[in-house]
Amino acid sequence: MSGLLLQAVVSGLLLGGVYGLVASGLTLIFGVLRIINFAHGAVMMLGMYASYWLWVGLGVDPYVSVLVTAPLFFLLGMGIQRLVIEPNRDAAEHNQLLLTLGLALFLENLALVLWHGDFRTLRVPYANASFVIGDALVEVSRLVAAGGAVLIALALFVFLRRTDVGKAIRALSEEREGAMLVGIDVARIRAVAFGIGSACVAVAGALITPFFYVAPDVGESFNIMAFVVVVLGGMGNFIGALVGGLIVGLAESLGAALLPGSLKQLVVFVIFVLVLLFRPEGLFGGARGR
Amino acid sequence: MGDDKQRGTNGFLTRRGFLGTLGAATTVAGFPAMARGQGPAPVKVGYILPVTGPLAFEAQLALNGILLAVDEINAAGGIKSLGGAKLTLLPGDTQNKVELGKSEAQRLIDQGVVALMGPFSSLVAFSVRQDTEKARTPFLLLAAVADNLTEGGLRYTFRMQPNGKAMATLTVDNMLEMANAANVPIKRVAMMHEDGNFGTTMGNHVEAFAKTKGYELVQRVPYNLRSPDFTAELAKVKAARPDLLLISGYYGDSKLIAETAAKLRVGVHALVGLANAAYSNPRFIAENRELTEHIFDGNYWHNPQSARAKTVFEAYQKRFSSPMSNHGVQGYQVTFVLKDALERAASIDRDKVRDAIAKINLTDHILTQDAIRFDDTGENPNAMPALLQVQNGRPTVVGPARFAEAKPVFPVPKWKG
Repeated sequence: MSGLLLQAVVSGLLLGGVYGLVASGLTLIFGVLRIINFAHGAVMMLGMYASYWLWVGLGVDPYVSVLVTAPLFFLLGMGIQRLVIEPNRDAAEHNQLLLTLGLALFLENLALVLWHGDFRTLRVPYANASFVIGDALVEVSRLVAAGGAVLIALALFVFLRRTDVGKAIRALSEEREGAMLVGIDVARIRAVAFGIGSACVAVAGALITPFFYVAPDVGESFNIMAFVVVVLGGMGNFIGALVGGLIVGLAESLGAALLPGSLKQLVVFVIFVLVLLFRPEGLFGGARGR
Repeated sequence: MGDDKQRGTNGFLTRRGFLGTLGAATTVAGFPAMARGQGPAPVKVGYILPVTGPLAFEAQLALNGILLAVDEINAAGGIKSLGGAKLTLLPGDTQNKVELGKSEAQRLIDQGVVALMGPFSSLVAFSVRQDTEKARTPFLLLAAVADNLTEGGLRYTFRMQPNGKAMATLTVDNMLEMANAANVPIKRVAMMHEDGNFGTTMGNHVEAFAKTKGYELVQRVPYNLRSPDFTAELAKVKAARPDLLLISGYYGDSKLIAETAAKLRVGVHALVGLANAAYSNPRFIAENRELTEHIFDGNYWHNPQSARAKTVFEAYQKRFSSPMSNHGVQGYQVTFVLKDALERAASIDRDKVRDAIAKINLTDHILTQDAIRFDDTGENPNAMPALLQVQNGRPTVVGPARFAEAKPVFPVPKWKG
């Protein structure tokens, strides 16, 4: 394999891991709540700011900051679900979609007011750490993010299989009325699911911050791709989200290396449309494949 | 210093900025009747800038420059030919959207502004200029560099800053001249640019005059601004073995590209921004000291030899607690273009102001160029970008020679494999 191709594959896999990381929380929220959460990117942006300020203010390493931000964003997500989304649970689907879109706009503009439009960079000492495999450069911080994606996907998988709350979440995602009949507090479980999704994306933000930048609209860089990944992997399926992320990342990176101009995203969206046409339930069969 | 802190790091919600906005609003509402009774009626000047939305950060820097200039003018006695009339700024927020740009421009025109400044992005400028033309209102372009903005026989649109073509031509000229002086000829050039209007315009110019200037464009990579990763693109650039890598981009993308280029050891003599939003931005440099050292950028700038520029920079630093950026310089200078025209027009009639702007010959300015003038199309024929290089963490003018404050470091060893 030529150096260029190898590089494209390596960086595509790393990028794909990041996409999968962002998408994991999104797919959980969709699987349980049946809500297309447009505010996901905005919550990630808040998570990135949280890690940024912990670094600037207290010198907390962004990787360590997840110990604070994950519980914090779990509560924030629960709050959003309880106060904003739950009251509109019986509204038409497009109203719920508009609701999350409005929430995204609100959060982005809140960030703009609080922290201005500045791009901020979190300079950790190991920001430039990298090594070479063959001819391909591997950035350590991106590798950590991709590794985090795998860990989160596995942790969620185990959590949903082994714990009572996880089982309740699965029950709810499969059959709402049945879940209510067996005595599951569905409102609480929905809040927990939204909380976990938000915590996941806060962790994603923390892992991305060392090699990226923080700005109020930073979530938009990942939001659209996260949706593509969720649909590819099957809505509500996070092993699928991880694999879908890798596919999208690879497609984008190989597209950039082999195609002229800015056609790389075309490759991704062609794959997206093909999947929608021929496998609308996603490559891994939606929540059933969980 | 405690006082400085209250102003915010880039003056986003400064006390004076807020008061200025409030003052503008109250003038419209006719609230302070006592203010009206004193002296000549204030001259209303409008700005439309994307002070919220994706370009909010840069727009605020430009607005800071405008605020500084307006206060300087008013503190020095206003427009003397109008009996010392003060300037009143009327704000307009475009959010970088065409529709909003048009409606905000129309609103300000209806409120009786003598001229409009803005709107930062070329896309918005392209639409707004039709409204200003119809309303016969002078429109002083700020920051927008797309070549076509002055096309179409417009009478009321003026551009002080170099357009895309001047920016690209003169920057490449400056680089080639410097390379020849260093005996390191440039034969192979690669270009990366964002795929919007701005970047594409720059890319087209660099491609167009490759032949006449004797280099080969070995790789041209347009990219999406929001791409989270540029490793594959830069691997492609590296494989083409260029001597020089030109980059026309905004902030976040330019950061990722420079970082990845350094890690990949992309192997060029220099990384050169072309009207790049990051590579001569003091904040970007301060946050990325090691990365940005010796990076070049061709951009509009102030003249470091000018004594006035020094004073202005000190005033800016004092007021906004951050170094003045090139967008601040533009905002400041374009306000003084209008001030000069108002003095000579001795009228707030928009047509008379327009004629005065068209005839301007302003030598007392802080830019790297000869007198500010406008040709028949409204372009400034003397507009010239400076060639900058980050040296010791500071963007330093290294070309053209008559404005240079230091010698360039070229070739730069750090990008080599």
